[in-house]
Amino acid sequence: MEVDREDGRSQNQLRPLACSRNILHRAHGSASWSQGDTKVLAAVYGPKAGTKKNENPEKACIEVIWKPKTGQIGKPEKEYEMILKRTLESVCILTVNPNTTTSIIVQVVNDDGALLPSAINAACMALVDAGIPMKHLAVAICCCVAKSGYVILDPTKLEEQQKMKAFAYLVFPNSVHSVLPEGSLRVEGEPIENGIITSVTHGIMSVDDYFYCLERGRAASVKLSDFLRRNLQQQSTDSSKAG
Amino acid sequence: MEGRLANSWRLTVNDKNFIKTALLSEIRIDGRKPFEYRKISIKFGREDGSSEVQLGQTRVMGMVTAQLVQPYRDRPKEGILSIFTEFSPMADPSFEPGRPGELAVELGRIIDRGLRESRAVDTESLCILASKFVWAIRIDLHILDNGGNLVDAANIAALAALLTFRRPECSLGGEDGQEVIVHPPEIREPLPLTVHHLPIAISFGFFSNESILVIDPTHNEEAVMGGRMTTTVNANGDICAIQKSGGEGVPQRVIMQCLQLATSKAASITKQIKDAVEVVNTERALRKVKRHPTSTGVDVREKQN
Repeated sequence: MEVDREDGRSQNQLRPLACSRNILHRAHGSASWSQGDTKVLAAVYGPKAGTKKNENPEKACIEVIWKPKTGQIGKPEKEYEMILKRTLESVCILTVNPNTTTSIIVQVVNDDGALLPSAINAACMALVDAGIPMKHLAVAICCCVAKSGYVILDPTKLEEQQKMKAFAYLVFPNSVHSVLPEGSLRVEGEPIENGIITSVTHGIMSVDDYFYCLERGRAASVKLSDFLRRNLQQQSTDSSKAG
Repeated sequence: MEGRLANSWRLTVNDKNFIKTALLSEIRIDGRKPFEYRKISIKFGREDGSSEVQLGQTRVMGMVTAQLVQPYRDRPKEGILSIFTEFSPMADPSFEPGRPGELAVELGRIIDRGLRESRAVDTESLCILASKFVWAIRIDLHILDNGGNLVDAANIAALAALLTFRRPECSLGGEDGQEVIVHPPEIREPLPLTVHHLPIAISFGFFSNESILVIDPTHNEEAVMGGRMTTTVNANGDICAIQKSGGEGVPQRVIMQCLQLATSKAASITKQIKDAVEVVNTERALRKVKRHPTSTGVDVREKQN
C-alpha cells in the first residue's frame, strides 16, 4: 500500500542518521545521535566509586539524568530516565565493577519525533566511547500504527501528533557477527537478536498490529546495527584518543 | 553522593607551579599569549532561537522560547526577560543535578545584568496589551562542557540565540479589541526581537606573582588564579557591567588596562556573532522561499514579502 508521508519517505524508511563520538572533553564518553531533525547528546561519567542507598552494592549501578530542552523536569522526564536505566542495565555487564556508579546524562537538543529511541541509541554509543563493558548494543526504533491501519517506522513529531493512533518504542539487541559458524549466543534455541529488550507502547493497538510492528522493527534494527557497527569501527581506526 | 572523592577534581601542586612559572615568561599552557582569546565557533540549530557556541573546549547551548503572560504590576507596558542557566552534570563531574549552585547563579546574574539593565533587548516592543498580555522571553543556557570561562561562552550563546529567535506575530481582535490572536508561522511571518546592542562579557584572571593578567582562562588556569573579573562591554565602548567578587586586590591601572582590552576584544567578537547570524538568516530566508512549491518561477535572489 502506497503511503503518503510528508517528507516523501516510504513506510519502512528511516530518516537520515548521523552520529559522532567523543565530542566532549571533560566527559569520559560522549556521543551525539540525530535521526532527521531529532538530535540528542549523551555523556557518560564512570565508573565512579560507591552506589546509591537503595542499590545493590554487589553490582555496578547505572544512573540516568535526562535534561529536557527547556522547562522544568517533570514526570515524563522521570519516566524516560527509568526506561533508559532499565534498558541499559540489561545491556551492560554489571558484575565486572561491583559497587560503582556509572552516570549517563542525556541532553535533548531538538525533538522532532522518536525521542526516546534516539536517546537510547545515543546512550549506547556514549557507553562504548567511555569503554563501559557491555554484552551487546541496544538498538532502538519507533513504530506507529496510523488511524487508517498501516504501520510506519520512525515518525516525525507532526506524524506522531496528527496521524497516529498508537505507537511503540522497541529496543532490540544488535545483530551478531560471530566468528564461529554457529553463533554461540543462542537463548533457548533462538538467536539472541530475536529477543526484545524493551517495549513501551502508547495508545491502543490490536495484537496483530503489535506483532506486525515487532516484525518491521526487527528488520529495521538490522539496518541500524549495521550503521552502528560501521560507525564505531571507522571511528576507532582513525581517531586517536590522547587522554 | 555529595562531596564524594570521585567528584572533586584537583590540580596537582606540580601542575599549579608549572602554570605559574610559565606565566612569568608570558607563556600559557595551551600555547596562547596572555591577551589572546580562544577560537570561537557559533553554530545554530534547526529551530529559530537555538544556538551552540564552542569557545576552545567549553561548549554551551542556548535556547530561546516565548510565552504570552501577564506583565508585572509595576511594569505594565514592558515584556519579561528571564535567564535560566543549567549546569548540566555532563559538563563537569563536580556539577550535581538539581538546585543550581553558587557558580550557576552568579553566571546567570552576570548575563542577566548585561542584557536587561543595559536595555540591550527592547522590552517595550514585547507588550501587546498593556497590563494584560506581554511576551515573556525565556533564555535557557545549558552548559555542556566545562573547559573554563563559562560566562563568556554562555553570554555569546545567549546573544546568538536572541538574534536568531523569531516570535509569532499577534494582533488585537475580539469585540472590544481586548483579545489577542496569535498568528501561526505559516500564516504570518514571525518577527525578530529588537536588540539595540550586543553586550559581550570578557573575563580576566589575576595571578598572585607580579600581578599577571590573562584573558579567557581555561579551567586549569581557573584552578590556579587568585582572582577573576568579568567586564561586560559593547562595541560602542559602553561598560554594561563589571563583576569582581572577592579574590585578590588589583591596582587601579590594571582595571583600566582590562577595560581597554575588553573594548577591543568586544568589537571583534561582536563582528563574529553578527556574521554568523547573517549567514543563518540568509539560509533560513532561502529555505522559506523553497517552502512554497506552487509558486512557479521564483527567483531565489528576490525577497519574498
